Amino acid sequence: MSPLKITRQDRAAGPVLHVTGELDYDQAAALREETERLPLRPGQCLVIDLAGLEFCDSTGITALLAARQHAQAAGAEVALAAVPANTLRILTLVGLHQVFTLLPDAGADTGAGGGTGGDAGTA
Amino acid sequence: MMCRTGQDQGPEPSGKENEPAATDAEFSALLEDSAEELYESAPCGYLSTLMDGTVAKINNTLLDWIGLEREAVVGRKRFADLLSVGGKLYHETHFAPLLRMQGELRGIALELRTRGGGRLPVLVSSAVKQSSEGEPLLIRTTVFDASDRRAYEAELLRRQQEAEKARAEAEAARAEAETARLQAEADRARLADAFTVLQKSLLPDALPAVPGLEAAAYYHTASPDRLGGDFYDLFPVAGDRWAFFLGDVSGKGPQAAAVTSLTRYTLRAAALHDPEPATALRTLNTVLHERYAGGGDPRYCTAIFGVLGPGPEGGITVRLASGGHTPALILRSGGRAEYLPTPGGLLVGILPTAPFVTAETVLAPGDTMLLYTDGLTEARTGDARDSLYGEDALLDFAAEHAPSSPHTTVAALTTLLEGLGDGVNDDTALLALGVPADDPAHRTPPPDGAP
Repeated sequence: MSPLKITRQDRAAGPVLHVTGELDYDQAAALREETERLPLRPGQCLVIDLAGLEFCDSTGITALLAARQHAQAAGAEVALAAVPANTLRILTLVGLHQVFTLLPDAGADTGAGGGTGGDAGTA
Repeated sequence: MMCRTGQDQGPEPSGKENEPAATDAEFSALLEDSAEELYESAPCGYLSTLMDGTVAKINNTLLDWIGLEREAVVGRKRFADLLSVGGKLYHETHFAPLLRMQGELRGIALELRTRGGGRLPVLVSSAVKQSSEGEPLLIRTTVFDASDRRAYEAELLRRQQEAEKARAEAEAARAEAETARLQAEADRARLADAFTVLQKSLLPDALPAVPGLEAAAYYHTASPDRLGGDFYDLFPVAGDRWAFFLGDVSGKGPQAAAVTSLTRYTLRAAALHDPEPATALRTLNTVLHERYAGGGDPRYCTAIFGVLGPGPEGGITVRLASGGHTPALILRSGGRAEYLPTPGGLLVGILPTAPFVTAETVLAPGDTMLLYTDGLTEARTGDARDSLYGEDALLDFAAEHAPSSPHTTVAALTTLLEGLGDGVNDDTALLALGVPADDPAHRTPPPDGAP
């Protein structure tokens, strides 16, 4: 079992969380706590980069949904980037591929003033 | 001459000769002078009595301890009169008879009465002096002050009592801890009982007997103290139609159980109002979304809801809708296994309105439809527990076993789950519905059977 590691990157368009490891029952709470602490402003887009995600079960899905609720409450958007194939399969199975904005990758920091980052690359 | 010669040798050696002489004199004087002195002033008491105990001789040390004049004691008192009441009694019942029998006693603990009514603990040794004919003449007794020893013994006793008290306290603490442990065990057992009762309330006690249908169910609890969120049911709706559902609520524990309960009773009520599967799921979606959306703690479920009706040629029609749930698996009488896909159905409860996908099939005699929760398809397999059992593996497993009755199918999957062991880290519910084969002994594949 790989430990979950979350690193945060603040961009003008909104924060990016790079998630590596496993999102399972024992570890998904860490992502929920991390997203609950995130300061989000209306119009921002929270990008959750799942390129390093090795495993995601239903509690991981719940953590992603909690992040979405938190973003919506702040008037922000949420997008999932670089979703691995097996996690995408689960998202599709439960219909969430219709709910989350999916990005091919987390993209680069567009620098100061890049306010449109959240809209870019919508899958 | 010799002496003279010796004297003539000078005065110096005479000084040398005088010194040992003086020492000897002092030494003998000490011996002579101290015989009586030693008796009188020895650091222990000396006493001689007649055979009846009357004091004949007593030294000053002992007189000083008892605080009496010699005249008041000698010829007037017996040894026993010098003792405390208890000592006197002991002397008469044990000491004196034993002494007469044995002729000697050593180190007997007694108490002397002292001046002013006090008591002095002593150790007494006595010996009988006998005549040459062996007749007892008198008793010689030594008396040692044992107050230091008594104090030492008292100290020993006190230490022993302290140790005993500490031991008793440790024992009491241990007993208290044991009581607490038993209480905790009882509490845990009560909690486990409560969990079991609650868990049972989320599932039907037994599946109803449905004409023309065989039904089997199984519930695997991954962890006994984490209430599971899986649920299923089978119940009549209207006329000759029956409804069924199976699903999985997000999360674990009492909160998940509350969602499960809400889900189960909402689906039952919705089905009575309108048994159209997608409608029942939409009702559930509305209820869950209103109750749990926006709380920061998303609660949702996946579910398959379906309705059974009479079908052609003894078969049963199935119309079901899925909200984000793994597809139903059908084991055909001809030996095929296939999923009944319901792609695009969304988790129930996360959006105000959600798409649900409906599918239909007919279960012919010998066909079995299996509904399952993701405890099965998300079970971790492999030595490193790093891969999932998955839907493909389940399809292969079903194809190997088809055709298979609901009970046989559930039994085979139960064995499979037990084999996966701790790889099954989520609860698993199974519900299998099937039409009994016309004649299982002579079952033949239909013309359009196995591929």
